[in-house]
Amino acid sequence: MIAPESNPTSSAAGARQAQMLKVRVLRQDGPGQEPYWQLFDVPREPDMNVISVLQRIAAISETVDGKKVAPVAWDCGCLEEVCGSCTMVINGKVRQSCTALVDKLVEDQPDEIVLEPMRKFPVIRDLLVDRGRLFHALERVKGWVPVDGYYDMGPGERQSRQQQEQNYPLSQCMSCGCCLDACPQYLKIELEQEDGESDEAFAARQAAAYDKGFIGAHAISQAMLFNNHPVGKTLADQRNEELSSAGGIQVCGNAQNCVAVCPKEIPLTRSIARAGRSTTLYQLKKFFER
Amino acid sequence: MAEPSPQDSFYWRHEFAIRRLHSLAGLVPLGAYMVVHLLTNASLLDSVESFQGAVYRIHSLGLALPVIEWGFIFLPLLFHGLLGVWLIKNGRSNTSHYPYVNNRRYKWQRWTGVIALVFLLVHVFHLHGWFHFHIWLDVVAHPLGMANFRPYNAASSLARAMGSWPWWVFYLIGVLACVYHLANGLWTAGITWGLWISAAAQERATKICTAFGIGLALVGMAAWWASISIDPEAAEAIENRMYPAAVQSGAVPLSVEKRTQPDVTMQDHPLGAVDPAPAADAPVATP
Amino acid sequence: MSAHRVVVVGGGLAGLSATMKLAELGVAVDLISLTPVKRSHSVCAQGGINACNDQTRQLGDNEWKHFDDTVYGGDFLNHQPPVKEMAYWAPKVIDLMDRLGVPFNRTGEGFIDRRRFGGTLYKRTAFAGATTGQQLLYALDEQVRRRESEGLVRKFEFWDFLAPIQDDSGRCRGVVAQDMSSMEIRAFPADAVIVASGGCGLVYGRSTMSVFCNGSAASRCFQAGADYANGEFIQVHPTAIPGSDKLRLMSESARGEGGRVWVPRKPQDARAPKDIPDSDRFYFLEEHFPEYGNLVPRDIATREIFDVCVNEGLSVEPDRMCVYLDLTHIERRELDRKLGGILEIYEKFQGVDPRDVPMKIFPAVHYSMGGLWADYARSADGGLEPGAPQNQMTRIPGLYAMGECDYHYHGANRLGANSLLSCIFTGLFASPSLISYAQSAGGSYRDVPASLLESAVKAQQTRHDELLKGTGDENPYLIHQELGDVMTRSATVVRRNDQLQSAIETVDELHQRAKRVHLSDSGSWTNQNVIFAKALQDMFPLAKCILKGALQRDECRGAHFKPDFTKPSLTAEDPAERRRQAEQWCDAFEENNRKYLKTTVAKWDASSDQPQLSYEDVDTSLIPPRPRLYGLVGAEVIEEVWSERAARRQSEASDTQPSTSSSSDAKV
Repeated sequence: MIAPESNPTSSAAGARQAQMLKVRVLRQDGPGQEPYWQLFDVPREPDMNVISVLQRIAAISETVDGKKVAPVAWDCGCLEEVCGSCTMVINGKVRQSCTALVDKLVEDQPDEIVLEPMRKFPVIRDLLVDRGRLFHALERVKGWVPVDGYYDMGPGERQSRQQQEQNYPLSQCMSCGCCLDACPQYLKIELEQEDGESDEAFAARQAAAYDKGFIGAHAISQAMLFNNHPVGKTLADQRNEELSSAGGIQVCGNAQNCVAVCPKEIPLTRSIARAGRSTTLYQLKKFFER
Repeated sequence: MAEPSPQDSFYWRHEFAIRRLHSLAGLVPLGAYMVVHLLTNASLLDSVESFQGAVYRIHSLGLALPVIEWGFIFLPLLFHGLLGVWLIKNGRSNTSHYPYVNNRRYKWQRWTGVIALVFLLVHVFHLHGWFHFHIWLDVVAHPLGMANFRPYNAASSLARAMGSWPWWVFYLIGVLACVYHLANGLWTAGITWGLWISAAAQERATKICTAFGIGLALVGMAAWWASISIDPEAAEAIENRMYPAAVQSGAVPLSVEKRTQPDVTMQDHPLGAVDPAPAADAPVATP
Repeated sequence: MSAHRVVVVGGGLAGLSATMKLAELGVAVDLISLTPVKRSHSVCAQGGINACNDQTRQLGDNEWKHFDDTVYGGDFLNHQPPVKEMAYWAPKVIDLMDRLGVPFNRTGEGFIDRRRFGGTLYKRTAFAGATTGQQLLYALDEQVRRRESEGLVRKFEFWDFLAPIQDDSGRCRGVVAQDMSSMEIRAFPADAVIVASGGCGLVYGRSTMSVFCNGSAASRCFQAGADYANGEFIQVHPTAIPGSDKLRLMSESARGEGGRVWVPRKPQDARAPKDIPDSDRFYFLEEHFPEYGNLVPRDIATREIFDVCVNEGLSVEPDRMCVYLDLTHIERRELDRKLGGILEIYEKFQGVDPRDVPMKIFPAVHYSMGGLWADYARSADGGLEPGAPQNQMTRIPGLYAMGECDYHYHGANRLGANSLLSCIFTGLFASPSLISYAQSAGGSYRDVPASLLESAVKAQQTRHDELLKGTGDENPYLIHQELGDVMTRSATVVRRNDQLQSAIETVDELHQRAKRVHLSDSGSWTNQNVIFAKALQDMFPLAKCILKGALQRDECRGAHFKPDFTKPSLTAEDPAERRRQAEQWCDAFEENNRKYLKTTVAKWDASSDQPQLSYEDVDTSLIPPRPRLYGLVGAEVIEEVWSERAARRQSEASDTQPSTSSSSDAKV
């Protein structure tokens, strides 16, 4: 809430702030429907981010030509880039909308802000997408430590600081899906629930389809995280098996967009290379021991 | 695309192994062969003799050669190339939104792959001809102006085949595409196989692969330059001079098809008894 | 097929630890959450989780001291048996989380590293960088995913809890919830229900909380007959980054790792912070509280910052209130290792590197100490009775509250790094209680009468349809802004009765207006508008609890501060006179405790749309209340007088009865 006066470029900033912000949103009323564009005018305020822009749009619910419309649907949570909810495509790039600061966006592209839903996930409505496949992949790689149970059994195995420093960055993955959306090898899988198909049957069909699609950088990285844990690694073979089954690590095309767009700067390529090594060794071992 | 077949196809069940083989095939034998091939050809820049000598060494394999060619070059090439096309179809390049260097490299790897495949299919046909049985050569290859390379007249037949500038451009683009594809492929293979893992190692690998690529590109351009710059007449003279000696010394088996001008002697002696070629034509390589 | 089925509402630390524990015990769980559970607000917790440990033990620490710090920090409004149980469980909780793979920071030798947090003198706080909440949540999320893959847990994410289902006896037999995509309203029958829906920060408009912390789940239980307790105790975190959409938390760990709070002595000194020499800097926390320094409890730090800006006019900026939180004296590498996560947040949102330039921060609404009233069974040793059905049970039989949405752990002020502990602890400890309850209550989720389920769904469907048809003209988003403004103005750091009174009137009016909302979206697919409108309407009962509770509590206790009712410092210089003043002070303190050391319990009265407040004794049987004297002038004398009185009382007590004070007597 810095006042314009205290801003070194105060007059320019003042003039800009009086302006309206043009925001173009790619909307879609529901799954399988035709997307369409709508343009909104939002009064520019200091320190805005895309979240506050969308909040203003929700309150106004009116397009630039005065048409009353339903508020844009979108997903957000913590607004400080740790929950992973508010991923969307902003000016062409996938990112978190909470850290998309309007001042910066306007600097790079002055005429308008363009908001689109993520490209690789089925649209539920407007900017809201179904990222179920992303979480399904975490289940595929058994991203957990298989402890016996939750009774008190004393502390876990002692771990070196080095190991902690290796694991912590991977453990910061917030499942936002940026790495997947930017990946040229990760393709959209969108199924439609058929008439008379139960929710469970549809979910099962979806899971089967997801199982064959590319598992994605995030899940590969989680597999490596747990393979590097003293107890987590007891499932290493199962994770390697999953990573080398259909849609596994072999689908990676080394475009490295994942690591470039990751808002948490997780060393995904490193995880992928490690997984490349461990799956190869695992498969060779399996081949010769079979 | 994304929706897999109801029954798991062979590919889905063995995707990992197939993709690993694809990667491996690109490195060995294809990549390795390409290095040898370009170095051999670049020897033409040194002299017609060195080049012809190198070709003789390859052809000393005799009847094993076609087996090696098909087993270690053509089939891996077709496997790598055709599978590659299918893989490309399963990716969606997005450099317009994400114009990062590595993403561009991803795109270029695919483009150069396609270019290289087309180039190599034509290149093999153009010079080698793919098959060497007569019906194929007489009915298909030769009428189309293909299968031009004569191993025992290596440089001259090559130079003649290179003909005019459209071939020059074609070969230059093709060779450079192959070189890029190999050098970049080497780098990505290092990640695929988990050779370079840390960011620092990947950076070092980038430098090594870049150097390798530039080096190989120079070699390739040298070979290319040699093939378009030498005088076929002069070269042929040298080759004809070398030929009888090579045959006589047993370095290479006698072969009619591998020469530009099947000589009279050989027509007279279909069983292959080789007489010294007419002195005027090609002086015997004896002092 | 499992014998029991439990519905858990909310997938933060409390909800997930309960789900995980229940699944381990073979109970099927339906987990309902507004958001994918991995995105729950627990993810925002930064600093760490408290437990006494081998190192602090050797410095004289033990579980009892952790317990003591917690109730002292909470100004004795905490119920002591649950807090004691929690403190004794704390080391076990850390061990478990360690086993689950939480990447706690390590010492050079590989032990779990610790940092110091507010309100204690020991380094009790285990941490994983500056994203401890995230790491703990992920570990639990992973275990729940594991149980999900085994088939015991079903997740219903992007579902909005609408109401508990109660049978004629008032017992909770399940919940009604709504799919936020298809808008389908469905009944979930259950043997018991846990509400672990977190805090209600959205009542204040902007806070450090996530957008789904709207308190609607707690409010819906409250309106269904569960009591709401201590609503007026809202923690305002001393250090947050002001922003137009949200006030972003700057963890206490910044101070725990050596961060210093200061303002220039000269008001709005124009020099760059690093050009201001130490002599021109006012390290007000360190000056006022030499012992605790920058790590005084949160309520105190907040008031100090507020005071320095508002009353002393020393805000760093002229037209925006803020003070410096300075880390620039600490080595970069060290900062990255221990605080990387939060420093990145500051950098991303403010565009300034806090490793080079002091951060500008100001207090923000952060946590609700109050919440759904919940019961417990006191054990003979003053802790909790494991597995007793009433542990964490609300006034609605079979409906449990855990985590931030319960009320008894943090009293009038929560200590930093205790919330993660209380959430995980309640989930782990109290889950077996649900099984005992289900066994003793009889019946099963399978035989909940269909008519009961149908009517519950129908009631919610009616509410939904009415809203869609709504003929009003009010914009729910604007009403929310107004609510946030009035709440922030009147019921945060400083509270005055006239302001509270007028706020109550404003909020009443807003409540009426909120019933006449007009929705710009009347569709039947992913209608966020109607979901928000419902949440907004349900904020009012809680807002009213906060305001009314604050109005009626004419004292200062923990986070609840009324300048008109502060206890004076000692003024006399003469020792005897000073002593006399201290005696008076202590008399006043005791008198005040007799009147106000009580839990505020609100019941919802639907006919008047108002909460009805009553007061209940607090179980302080283990540690007798004593004055909280951080920084008060004359504190030493008061302490002296007080300890004499305490000693006298103790000897009297041991003369008359062999200490068997019981909390269940104290609790009505």
